[in-house]
Amino acid sequence: MSKQNLTDYKDTLFRVITFGAAMVVLVVIVGIFVSLVEQSLPAIRKFGFFHFITTPIWDPVHEVFGAASSLYGTIVTTVLAMAIAIPVSIGIAIFMTELCPNFLKGAMGTAIELLAAIPSIIYGMWGLFTLAPIMGNTVEPFLQHTIGKIPYLGSLFSGTPLGIDILTASTVLSIMIIPFMASIARDTFMLTPQVLRESAYGIGATRWEVIRNVVLPYSKGGVFGGMVIAMGRALGETMAVAFVLGNKHQIAHSLLDASATITVTLANEFTEADSNMYMASLFYLALILFVMSFLTLAAAKFILKERSAP
Amino acid sequence: MNILTKRKIQNKMALSLSVLAAAIGLFWLFFILWDIFRHGMSFITMDLFTKDPMPPGFKGGGLRNAFVGQMLITLVAMVIGIPFGILGGTFLSEYGRHSRLGRFISTLSDIMVSVPSIVIGTFVYAIMVRPIGHFNGWAGGVALAIIMIPVVIRTTEDMMSLVPWSLREAAFALGAPYYKVITQVVYRGAATGIFTGILLSIARVAGETAPLLFTSFNNSFFTTNLNESTPSLTVTIFQYAMGPYDDWHGMAWAAALVITVAILLVTVAGRLLIKWRYRN
Repeated sequence: MSKQNLTDYKDTLFRVITFGAAMVVLVVIVGIFVSLVEQSLPAIRKFGFFHFITTPIWDPVHEVFGAASSLYGTIVTTVLAMAIAIPVSIGIAIFMTELCPNFLKGAMGTAIELLAAIPSIIYGMWGLFTLAPIMGNTVEPFLQHTIGKIPYLGSLFSGTPLGIDILTASTVLSIMIIPFMASIARDTFMLTPQVLRESAYGIGATRWEVIRNVVLPYSKGGVFGGMVIAMGRALGETMAVAFVLGNKHQIAHSLLDASATITVTLANEFTEADSNMYMASLFYLALILFVMSFLTLAAAKFILKERSAP
Repeated sequence: MNILTKRKIQNKMALSLSVLAAAIGLFWLFFILWDIFRHGMSFITMDLFTKDPMPPGFKGGGLRNAFVGQMLITLVAMVIGIPFGILGGTFLSEYGRHSRLGRFISTLSDIMVSVPSIVIGTFVYAIMVRPIGHFNGWAGGVALAIIMIPVVIRTTEDMMSLVPWSLREAAFALGAPYYKVITQVVYRGAATGIFTGILLSIARVAGETAPLLFTSFNNSFFTTNLNESTPSLTVTIFQYAMGPYDDWHGMAWAAALVITVAILLVTVAGRLLIKWRYRN
């Protein structure tokens, strides 16, 4: 073989190897989908789709399974966590881009990154041992005595405050996604051209007016995309909620009730499933979670791409 | 009220709220860290690292088995995840740069980074535990590798794209084939960045619990045989914290302290490295 041919051969080889490595991502995603569908087939056949997601019964003894209670828990904790996290993380991002003195910027950025790096199991354990007693003894009774007295709204805070409930789980979840959302919001705020800000200041706008009328409108697409990614993460978060949600399959009307999410159900019951139908139903839950979070994340990517396109 | 005063008051209120939000963020960080130190410190002893767990009810013992198991599982994940990640990232930033497939895989990797890790656990259970019939450490390593690959792919791609195109052209002009340009010019230029990406991906998987629950499971005995269920720090924390014994809780706090400090140190080191490399 001539030298030139050998070189071509090596280059092609390297190209094929790197191509193969990149394809692993695609293979894994397709693999996850196919194997989850395959494993959950018995449950899909028996319960169907709409019947499965609307049945609020999860009864391993009689082998009657429905995803409604887990889905409900997943959606309620996620929505509540987002409601707490969105204002706080936008506030943090505003502070970091518009208010923070320069010498503090680095430290503040590091602090947020550290908060993001703490593993979710640590959040969960801390939630169980520290936050749950505080919530059960102080915060929840307080809420019952104030908001709990208001008609209709009060029913959200009815029941015995134990600390192992939807409210505590959502709080832990929100602490987990705050750093993630804050850093995305900060990055998009920083993309606002300085000229735009200065021209607003030039006509006498206050700092808040510049933020509200220039920075926020300019970066709303990016911030929104970031929120949707955070939501995708919150949907699939396991350990942070597994400790403090109680794993009780019920559609709870009060935020002070225990509940279960898809992830918590999987974490607690997967190794205990003793029948084929039980196992298949758990795989079915995993499949629903996978499709839900995949679509959410893909939508977020799409939003962010639309925005960055000129 | 004068409109100017009104605007000024609005401004003050909005800005105070944003300072408050920042304070809340910092408050959680310090609260959590302080709590882990406060509870974990007293349980950090030599025994923790050198002894295996005692049966429930007996005093003493340590978590040597979990430390070793965690290292083995992470090592398996690194051996699989790092080469695939770097090579895949190379394809995305070089050969597949302008191809549609390349863009598509890059987007997919971004999505994969945030896919629920517990789903990856169920997937690996289906392909590596159910067919064999018992939990095993290899499955845990593979589950962590699946989480690691997209992280390394994306950072490698980004870091390699930062290497100026003119450097590659200079090497092409000397007659170098593309693979030589990549291995001898681009990799060298992006080395620090890629290394940091690997560090951060290790920090990421070291704290993962959910994907290990049904793959490597747990084991209260010391083992280096990855064919059987293998203990890990994170699953041990889960089991101990949920358990009824006070010394289990203490051990869980100690393990939490060790793992948090290790992960935060690696994260800070990674950030400093990036800052130092790209300071200009």
